[in-house]
Amino acid sequence: MLDILPQLLVNGIITGTLLAIPAIGFTAIFAVLRFPNFAVASHATIGAFAGYAANVWLGLPAELSLVAAFLVAGLVGVVSDEIALRPLRPYGALTTAIASIALTIVLENVVRLIFGNGLRGYDLPLVRDWRVWDIRIGPQQIENFALALILMAVVFAALRFSRIGKAMRAVADNPALAELKGIDPVRIGRLTAFFGMGLVGAGGMLLGLGTSIDPLTGFRFILPIFAAAVVGGLGSIPGAALGAMVVGLGEEVALLVLSPAYKSAVGFMAIVLVLTFRPRGLLGERAY
Amino acid sequence: MIGTCRPTRRAALAGLAAALAAPSIVRAQEGAIRFGTLTPLTGTGGTYGPAMRDAVIGAVRAVNANGGLLGRQIQIVSEDTQTSPEAAVRAARKLIDVDGVAAIMGTWASSVTTAVAPLCWESKTMLFTVSGADSITQLPHQGFIARTQPNSQLQIEVASRFMVDQGGTSFAWIGPQTPFAQSSIDILTAVAAEAGIEVESLIYEAEKSTYRSEVDTILRSDPDFIQLGGYAADSTVLLRDLWQAGYEGMIIGPAYAVNDSVVEALPAEVLEGVFTWEGAPAIDSEAYANVQQILGVETVDPYSAQTYDHANLAMLAIGKAGASSGQAIHDHLREISQGSGQATGSAVSGLGVLPGDVNYDGASGPCDFDEIGDITGTQFLFKRFENGAPVEFERV
Repeated sequence: MLDILPQLLVNGIITGTLLAIPAIGFTAIFAVLRFPNFAVASHATIGAFAGYAANVWLGLPAELSLVAAFLVAGLVGVVSDEIALRPLRPYGALTTAIASIALTIVLENVVRLIFGNGLRGYDLPLVRDWRVWDIRIGPQQIENFALALILMAVVFAALRFSRIGKAMRAVADNPALAELKGIDPVRIGRLTAFFGMGLVGAGGMLLGLGTSIDPLTGFRFILPIFAAAVVGGLGSIPGAALGAMVVGLGEEVALLVLSPAYKSAVGFMAIVLVLTFRPRGLLGERAY
Repeated sequence: MIGTCRPTRRAALAGLAAALAAPSIVRAQEGAIRFGTLTPLTGTGGTYGPAMRDAVIGAVRAVNANGGLLGRQIQIVSEDTQTSPEAAVRAARKLIDVDGVAAIMGTWASSVTTAVAPLCWESKTMLFTVSGADSITQLPHQGFIARTQPNSQLQIEVASRFMVDQGGTSFAWIGPQTPFAQSSIDILTAVAAEAGIEVESLIYEAEKSTYRSEVDTILRSDPDFIQLGGYAADSTVLLRDLWQAGYEGMIIGPAYAVNDSVVEALPAEVLEGVFTWEGAPAIDSEAYANVQQILGVETVDPYSAQTYDHANLAMLAIGKAGASSGQAIHDHLREISQGSGQATGSAVSGLGVLPGDVNYDGASGPCDFDEIGDITGTQFLFKRFENGAPVEFERV
């Protein structure tokens, strides 16, 4: 049984890296706006479909389609947040979180209305996997992996060096102090909704690239995304990346001891274990 | 001037009151016989549900246009199962308690049918289903379930014998956790054992975006014929993963899983040589032609053919009984579905023969039921993918 372990590790690392992108988006929104935005499910779907439209209808390559996925999901993120969630934020995180569940159902059905229920595949050349030392890996997987790493590098650089990134971290750290310093929390909120949901959309497309997409695509990832963010420490961006790796690797390696029928249980178990022994997550809740 | 065009609060209230008080609308519906369609308009089965509903509506519309049933019009109330048992139970409650339907038609996923069935038999509402799990007709349903889909035991048996006949020497079964997963594995194992063939099996979790590790696990046994046990979404992912992993052997999957949406989502080379099988609709029948016309399609999917039959069976049973309750359908279903009466392919022509004896022959097959509500006498159709399209391989 153990001879399959290297293969499972490779599969897990790739899954984890792809999962990290939407998990970072989710946790960034939590860090600044202080509520778990479950509308990430529909935004991942929207990103996947926007990327599909750019790739199949407009004939753009995958890399440019990924930009389209980011922009469309980000835009929908800002607009829907402005209409549905921002007015509810003064009533507390729980109210807003519940509203975000409602929002995600509405958005998912809008996608259904436009694209229908069928499965769709991206227009990518399909090639057989490579085999290296009896481990198989697909060229597409490697490309997705590289794209995810680049995206993460950009996010970390932006947070560290750009004015907007610094402002976001300031608001996440101490909103009152940030406002005293002249940072407009509403504007930063909008920017966070845009970048957060943009990342979720790009992540949705990356996760869908290797398979096929339908209106439930994003919904399938909501548990691992949430688990990754909680395990890493809700609100911590490096934590989300680490958490995604733990969940991704955990789900695959668990196949050694667990029936594949219980794969999702790994996400739940990770949440329970981490919250029991480190209630603030692996890296705590500092945004960066 | 512009201001006067805007509806005032008072005008809106008056309109609302008028709408609530409109007795003419209510009265027109009061005498109607009601059927509910409970098909998957969204979720995994969402590719089938709309056409399934439309086939029912088409069958009913034909009878309504012909003067109705027992002198009354028939009204269809359509609900969505979302391919989810929870949503389906809520929808069924509404159909039974609020709308008071005599029959519910078109439940698709076995998990949905299993969840909805007790509500139906407790309220004496007839349930027509297209689900395949064996366990469904073994429920204590007191005759309130009729299924037009061959049960999964028969389906898996037929497919497993096909695998042996095609010369496979090492089998694998891979599919999601469903009510028929374990029984499918058991049947395949039994059929394969007769031919001295080993079977490896793996039950995975549905709704995942990749099954790479699952594929790696199942391919360790080096099978040369794999039977898929899932639905369209997971089968798409699985077929792609199997191809990418370099699997060169044979594959067979149920036609509802390797369907048009899968063809659309996957390149032709991935599907090349894949077998599918399904209960074959009666393509030469009058009823099949009617469904073709209603849906405006050349090839009718097996489920729309079945829901068309559901509607006609329910209407004929009510016509035979002279009463419009679920109990009436329950009591008289087998009197109009089988036997030596005049063969008929639609309720419109069958109602003309009543009270004489009729035998409804449907779009999905002869529609003869055994004592527990299972269908008998279905043909099976095997297809094989060639250049991205399924081509008829054989009928058994």
